Order: sequence, then C-alpha cells, then structure tokens
Amino acid sequence: MKNIVEISDPKYPPLLKKIDQPPEKFYYKGNWNAALFEKCLAVVGSRKMTSYGRQITAKLVSEIAAAGITIVSGFMYGIDATAHKAALAAGGKTIAVMPCGIDLIHPEYQADLYKEILKNDGLIISEFEGAFPPALWTYPKRNRIVAGLSLATMVIEAGQKSGSLITAGLTEKYKRKLFAVPGQLTSTQSKGTLRLIKAGASIVTCAQDILAAYGISNHKISGEKLRSSNLNKLERNIVEKLQQEPMRIDALSRLLEVTASEIGTSVSLMQLKGFLFEEEGKYYVN
Amino acid sequence: MLIKVSSASNSGLQTIAIDVEVNVAGKGLPAFEIIGLPSKAVDESRDRVKTAIINSHIQFPSRRITVNLAPADIPKEGSFYDLPIAVGILASVTGCQLPGESLFFGELSLDGTLRHTRGALLLSLFAKEKGIKNIFVPKTSANEAAIVKGVNVYPVESLNQLLSYFSGETDLKPAEYIEVKDNWMNVQAEFDMAEILGQEQAKRAAEISASGGHNLFLVGTPGSGKTMLARALAGILPSLTEKESLEVTKIYSASGRIPPEGSLVKTRPFRAPHHTISRVGLIGGGTKPQPGEVSLSHRGILFLDEFSEFPRSVLEALRQPLEDGSLTISRSRERVTYPSRFVLIASANPCPCGYLHHPKKPCLCTSREVEKYRKRVSGPILDRIDLHIDVPVVDIKELAKDRQLKDQLEPSVIIRGRVIKARETQKNRFFDDGIHTNAEMKNKHIKKHCPLSKEVRHLLQQAGMNFQLSARSYFKMIKVARTIADLGDSRDIAVNHMAEALQYRPRVQERE
Repeated sequence: MKNIVEISDPKYPPLLKKIDQPPEKFYYKGNWNAALFEKCLAVVGSRKMTSYGRQITAKLVSEIAAAGITIVSGFMYGIDATAHKAALAAGGKTIAVMPCGIDLIHPEYQADLYKEILKNDGLIISEFEGAFPPALWTYPKRNRIVAGLSLATMVIEAGQKSGSLITAGLTEKYKRKLFAVPGQLTSTQSKGTLRLIKAGASIVTCAQDILAAYGISNHKISGEKLRSSNLNKLERNIVEKLQQEPMRIDALSRLLEVTASEIGTSVSLMQLKGFLFEEEGKYYVN
Repeated sequence: MLIKVSSASNSGLQTIAIDVEVNVAGKGLPAFEIIGLPSKAVDESRDRVKTAIINSHIQFPSRRITVNLAPADIPKEGSFYDLPIAVGILASVTGCQLPGESLFFGELSLDGTLRHTRGALLLSLFAKEKGIKNIFVPKTSANEAAIVKGVNVYPVESLNQLLSYFSGETDLKPAEYIEVKDNWMNVQAEFDMAEILGQEQAKRAAEISASGGHNLFLVGTPGSGKTMLARALAGILPSLTEKESLEVTKIYSASGRIPPEGSLVKTRPFRAPHHTISRVGLIGGGTKPQPGEVSLSHRGILFLDEFSEFPRSVLEALRQPLEDGSLTISRSRERVTYPSRFVLIASANPCPCGYLHHPKKPCLCTSREVEKYRKRVSGPILDRIDLHIDVPVVDIKELAKDRQLKDQLEPSVIIRGRVIKARETQKNRFFDDGIHTNAEMKNKHIKKHCPLSKEVRHLLQQAGMNFQLSARSYFKMIKVARTIADLGDSRDIAVNHMAEALQYRPRVQERE
C-alpha cells in the first residue's frame, strides 16, 4: 500500500491546492488525519541557530502547539528541528516536509526525531518518491509546500541569504500572513528577519500574536502557566531562582540547600520536558 | 661433583621452574662459567658469588666450576640466581646435605649477606601451586612471601647462617604466615572532601565514580580544583579486598616495588604519571616486559592530569586496558599479560588558554582552536569514560566566608561509608558474574541486572533524542544509573536515578 495523495483526491489539503503550482501528488508517512491540516503554521529559520533562536523557538512553538496549531517545518537541523521537537514536547501536532524522498532521513542523524514525529501522530510528507536524494533545487520546491500548507509563516532567525527568506517570499506571494521574530541588530542571524520586518512582516513578541491570527484570542493556558501547575516544590524553587539569574547546579544546590544529586535529577527532568535549557553549564528558564 | 638446586624465574606474573646445576670438576684448570643463556646480570653473578663466598670466610674452590641454568633455551634474567648458585657451590665444597623440596632465590651482597630481591611473592605462590614445601628467600623479602599459606618461607640473612643451618649447628625458623584479610582500615588521602569548597556536583560525581568504579573526566579552568578533587577521591575509595590485595601485591612484587621488609599492599594504588610519559611507561613493555602505569594502578586510580596534553598515540594505547581490564604485551621472545583494572580519572582544560567560560578572565582562543583542542582526545577514548563533569571556577574567598556552608561539608569518612555500602551491594549482585563493579558490566550483565521500567526507558529515549546520545552512551547511562540506585539503596533503577545519570553525559559531542 502506497501512501499517496493525488491532487484530485478529496483528502488533498485545500490550502495547498490554492498555490501557483501545487504538487500533482505527494507521499506521506504516518497516520493520515485531516484535522492536522486545518490550522497550520509554518515555522522556519536558520540552520545556524543561536542560543537566542533556540530559546525563542522552544518558547513560542510550545505555546502555539499547545493551543492546537499544527507546526509545519522542513526537518532541517537548527530552527526546523527545534520547532518540531518543541511541538512534540508540548504534546502538539507537527508535519515535516522533506526535501528528499520520504524514505530517506535527511539529515541522517535526526533519525530519532523522524521516528518521534511518526510515533506522536505527526506526518512526514514529500512530493519526492522513495529514497529520492536531496539536491539544491529540491529545497525551494519543498519550501513552497511548507508555505502552501500554512495559513501563516513565522520566521525565526534568518541570515542575509537564508532559504527561510524564500519561504517568506512564497508566503507573501500566496497572500498568507507573514510573521518575523525580531533579533539583535548585531547578530548576522537576524539580518534576514529584520529585513522582513522592515518590509512589512508582522512582528512577533509573544505566542498570542500568532494565536490571534488563528482566531484564538484568549488562549488562557499559556505555556508557562500550564507548566508551573505541574511542577513540584523543588522544581518551582529552581525555576524561581533561575528566573532571577541563570546558574549552575552547584550554585542552586548551595542556595536551596539541597544536594547536587537532587538538583541534578530535577534539572535533567525539567530540561527534557522543555522548561529549562543549558548553555555552558548554566541553566536557563525557557 | 654435581649438585642440583631448584629455583624459579618470573616472566611477568608467570613463574617457571629453573634447575641450577652446579658442577665442581675434579680435573681441569680453575674457572667459573655460567651457561644456559645468562643475561648480563646473571653473568655478573659469578663475581658476586665468588666474592661473597670468600668474604664469608669459606674456601672458594680453585677448580673448574660449571653452572648450567636449565632449561637452557630460555633467556635468564635477574640477580636472584646468586643464592642457588652459591648454595650449589657450598654444598659441593662442604658436602652438607641440602633440604629436599626447596626453592632458593635471592641476590647476594659482596659481604655474603642477602639483599631484597623482587618477585618473592610470585615464587611463594609458585611453590604452593607445585606443592614445594620450602623456599629460601632473603630476610628482607620474607614478609612478602609469607602471605602464602602452607609454604615454609625461610628468611635467609647470610651465607654463613644458611650453612650453619644446613650442617645442623643452628636452627632457622620459617617466617610467620601473614594472613590476608579484608581490611577496612582508613586511607590517608592528601585532601579530605570537606576541604573542598563548592564543587557540589563534581564531588557527587567523584562519589559515584568511587562507588561503581566508573571512569571520570573532569573539565575545568586552571585552578578550579580538578587535581585536588582527584586526589581527594583516593580517600573515599574502599580498601582492597583480600583477592584484590593479592592481585596488586603480585604486580608490585614482580616489578620490584615492594620495599624491603614490606608485605601486602593494602591501600588502593593512586598513580599520577606526568603527561610526558612514554607509551611503554604507560602501558608497560621493554624487552623483558615490565608493567606500566595502567597495571601499577590495577584496582586503584590512574590519574591523568592535563589529559589533552598526552600524546595521542599514548592515549590511544589506553583503549584495550580500559575495555578488557588486562593487557597483553607481546614481544618476539615472550608474551606477558598484566591485569589493568583501574579507574581512570582524567582532567583537562576546556581550551588551550584554559579560560573558556571563565567568569572573569577572557578566553583568547578562537572557536577553531577550541574545537581542535577537544579533538585531541579521540571519541573511542571518551566513549570509555562514563562520567563527564565540568569543574567550574569557584570564588573560594566568597564561599569561605559562609560559616554555615562550611559546617555542612561532608568529610571523606562519611562519603566513604556510602561508597563501601554500594560496593557491598555490587559484590552481592555480581556474585557469580566474575566482575566487581557496575562499570565492568558488559551487555549481558546489563540485561541481567538492569531491567528498566517503561518510564525509565521512555526518559532515556527522550534524552537520546534531545542530547544526541550515542548507542554506547545509552549503556553508560544505564551503568551510571545503576550505581546511583545502589547509592540510594534502591533495588530498581528509577526515573530519578536515570535523570541524575544524564547529568554526567558527555556534552562535547552534542549537536543542535
């Protein structure tokens, strides 16, 4: 049995059909679920993600995905992979559009992510068959599907000549909403996004900005609140201290008068749940 | 007249019987010859034996003396042939009766007394194995040989004393048997854990390392206390068990590292070779293969400070001993196997200048240089290290002000108590697996002793995805979690044990 959706198929996502040159057919892996295509947001960005990029992607995407919006991205390392992961961690839905055949995992070392997406009812799709290898020309073709599936596109970090800018251009061409996350003026990875903002893209400062575009105006359970309700006392204390200042485990252990062993345990668990992230030995609240 | 004296020669930790045949001929010009592939040291034995006999006021025969060391095709090395050769000559001159079933072993001094000779323990063990009743060794080496039960170890002081014993004039009592037992005596380390301020996580890692025998990699800026921590670690290790003690003593005896009058090695070895060490120095070798640092630290700690400064070829040689716990040195003439089950404590700077991520001093290295520096230690070596930990710089002045904090610091004795308990648990667990610690577990042991609940497995998978853990890292995490569970007196590996274990994953290879 081959999982193919032809353009004539009633299953074919209606939004995708509206673009200039919609793919005649595409292949997919995973459990087909039409609801997945209802409210999609494309999240794209640089491969050379900075720690700021990672932090923002994880934060915004987890809140957006928690509100029920499907995160569509391109499975590349950097922002793409972070967005997929954040969506999965928040228990949300995600679609990965591959630049190669669906049987090929590219980049190879993200095989775990590939499996995780399928396991959590996400979809892997591509207009290329089987083990078709990725090539320079397949990436822009892939980008048109990413943009085409989505009501809006959010660009987080893009360099001067980033592929994300192609997706952004297509978004505008398809008359969809374009969002860009502002970054530091000095960062090379912000050059692209800042240019988009200058040219009229909507600025994203919080997840609500995006959710409003999808008509979810009062999404009360923001990510942070949802999380803190699940935290135990020690975890809440850790978050509280880390919000004041990023710290090492040693310092946390001294301040909270809890053994390094217990702090280490909590911190690992919280990091895996996406509440914290680590940089140069210090822990930060997401 | 032909006299046969038994002795034995050590090659590595193996011992083979050697017959020393001494013939004092009735005819011929006076001469003294040793045959049977003697080395330089054995050849020089002639002069020592001759002078020692003369200085003992015994008439040295002016006849043709031929000494054959049999089997004749094995190269003979060492100075311990002095005693059997001298005994053979004396027996043939004086006509005294030599005691049966005896091995003679020892180096002579020119004044006719005996000197401390290496390998006495191995000789004693060999005698026991072959059912030989008596061994005659230098007095200063007797304590070492007396650990073996059921062998009469005669401590010989001088040739005269021996001769009067043979002739029945005086009595010579065998050395008293020294019992080998598990000793839980305290170890004196250079530093106590309570002297180290801050570094809570690194200290915890040290405790886990000591408990489960896990290799530990400390990365930190200069002056952050890596060396101090490694040295303090020696103080929280449990004492050697009976079996381990014997293993270590054998290696030390074979390489002549037991001091005169010395006996059993009771404390775990702590070896800290400098990074200019040669490959042979580290893993052993030489024409007559000697144990290297990896074997001298058997059942103890091998501390390699400035790990990245060691030549790569030297470090790569560590792979086999790290993996197998033993090492075979092959030379054209012989093949020697030494055990090398040590805990590796490695420490390194994070970058060439040393100040990467330092809160105050700027790092002068480019990212390329940092990358290159880190790659000096190869993946396969890092893969064999279970615990990876950052040792950050601590503002000691600030911490020292805090009285309360100081009072809370745990002394090594208490930590050691927990370590010993965890080792006991492991000893019981691996009762019939032939291993001692969690770190030694192979896949089959992990399958047998570390069943993971669904939650723990899920956590590990999640971590694998987020932290890019390699397949080998998975197993390392399970082993470390097993030790953490043992420290927490838990039969099963719980989620919190695995979560803590993840803290000690290698972070260098992470890729986002």
